[in-house]
Amino acid sequence: MRYAKVSGAALLLLLVAALGNLGIGASPIPLPEVLRALFSFDLDSLDHYVVLSQRLPRALIAIYVGAVLAAGGAVMQGVTGNPLASPSTLGVSAGAMLGMLLSVFVLDAALPMQGFGALSGGFAGFALTLAVARLTGLGPDPRGLPLILSGALTGMLLAGLAGALLLTDPERRAEYLGWLAGNINHYYVDRLALFWPFGLVSFAVLMALARPLTLIGLGRERAETMGVATRPVMRLALSAVVLGASSATAICGPVGFVGLVVPHLVRPFTGAHLGRLLPVSAMAGAALLLLSDVLARRAFMPFTLHTGVLLELVGGICFGVLVYRLYLRVEARR
Amino acid sequence: MLRTETLSCRLGRSLILGDVSARFAAGRFTALVGANGSGKSTLLRCLMGIVAPETGQVLLDDRPVAGMRRRALARRMSYLPQANVCPDHMTVGELVELAGFGRTGLFGSVSGAERETFRHALQTVGLEGAERQRVSQLSGGQRQRAFIAMVLAQDTPLLLMDEPVNHLDLRYQYAVLDLVRSLVTDHGKTLIMVLHDLNLALAYADDVVLLKEGRVLAQGQAREVLDAPRVAEGFGIETRMREIEGRTVCLPRGARMVDLP
Repeated sequence: MRYAKVSGAALLLLLVAALGNLGIGASPIPLPEVLRALFSFDLDSLDHYVVLSQRLPRALIAIYVGAVLAAGGAVMQGVTGNPLASPSTLGVSAGAMLGMLLSVFVLDAALPMQGFGALSGGFAGFALTLAVARLTGLGPDPRGLPLILSGALTGMLLAGLAGALLLTDPERRAEYLGWLAGNINHYYVDRLALFWPFGLVSFAVLMALARPLTLIGLGRERAETMGVATRPVMRLALSAVVLGASSATAICGPVGFVGLVVPHLVRPFTGAHLGRLLPVSAMAGAALLLLSDVLARRAFMPFTLHTGVLLELVGGICFGVLVYRLYLRVEARR
Repeated sequence: MLRTETLSCRLGRSLILGDVSARFAAGRFTALVGANGSGKSTLLRCLMGIVAPETGQVLLDDRPVAGMRRRALARRMSYLPQANVCPDHMTVGELVELAGFGRTGLFGSVSGAERETFRHALQTVGLEGAERQRVSQLSGGQRQRAFIAMVLAQDTPLLLMDEPVNHLDLRYQYAVLDLVRSLVTDHGKTLIMVLHDLNLALAYADDVVLLKEGRVLAQGQAREVLDAPRVAEGFGIETRMREIEGRTVCLPRGARMVDLP
């Protein structure tokens, strides 16, 4: 009953955020007009054109990216037991970003192959984070800061390489500079049209694995004794997370914060069971990105920020707060 | 019946278990006792199939545990580790429900009978009505009982527990041991438990396996195995065994014990 209320509230929030996103912009469009644009489109109405051709694609991108990243963060935090784990802190987003840019700048790849580049990069970035963590003596406990520091190191290295790659082609540089900062933009709707099945597959796989993944949160040995084949389950789940997060990066560039923070915001209401945490995280992540997108467009008028930039700013603060609450304050108490 | 055949196990370079052949009779409570580092916990983890032996094997009804699928094993044996980890926001109800995974698998739904098993497990440990409480907010004793409820909810004929009464006060030590003893006596379960306290082993266990430096020093009925010479050999301390009210009690003799007035 409580879960039904929580998921209902998340759905309502998502709906309000979506309608707000469609209505608020450089020229505000009243809600009835937004609804008419969606359900009885008038070819002669400029407002209807703006809603359908610009704002709806943006909103759909925000929903997809927010949902996929928040679900990915919830699973990564559950599986590693690390509260700071997320696609952006464990090198997946940075890897996907570099993979995508390599496919464009080096291979001159078409859009479908760019997605493949992002996916390969996402896997490589995640693998590099784990390898760095292992080399720096993380040991068997993935719950501590060393894993996150390895992710930060990997992210910085890959972002530096991506920046260097941009310098090699001044003409295309301008085209990808905005994408590199995490840009929820209707230009990228063709990417969404191409890559959304990856997110759907990712989410379906994670939902199917929700119970064994929740058991893994109790410790791998414990999960094995409860009947979970932990190695294949973890591999499949983390691959699904990388698939979804890489596709999100391929669409609009790296977007941080959502995967890290949304599970923390949602968990007090849903509990830690991923069967309940995942759907609500996805809805809340989507709503958060929709609202952030509105804020990025309106808060600094007449300037428009990239949503990714705004989220990096807010995310940096949240990251600091989480590190303090979950690690430093605990250390100080000992 | 569960048994090991010439089991050896190495963790890193250290040999933890060497040539262990032990039998755990069905429907009995066997205590694994021994000094620190004697290999009790490792033996339990080998029995559960989560640590692979270097040589030898663990056999469950004459079938090698190593060859059994995880879910099949989870329907036969449940395990309570020494240290239990639980995510911050997990509730007691969620914890106990998860125990049904071995039966339901990925796509099976929780049946009415399953729910009754979960309810009964919570009732057995005295946590009925605490389903919505967060595990992290429970006291140490309640928390341990919640994890025991999880093991009970797995509803397996064989239960393996690694020092489940550590960190519990006297009342809960006896409550937990009374509870698991009744599972053996009244419900025919087989229980294998690592215990540090020899008096608890003598009071509750049918059989004892006494380990020393990774090898079986003695095994058999508790009262026969735990005599003063064997305890001296296993633990390196002097003890006296006394009969008090028909019960054998082990009295350790520390060199500097305070004299009674």
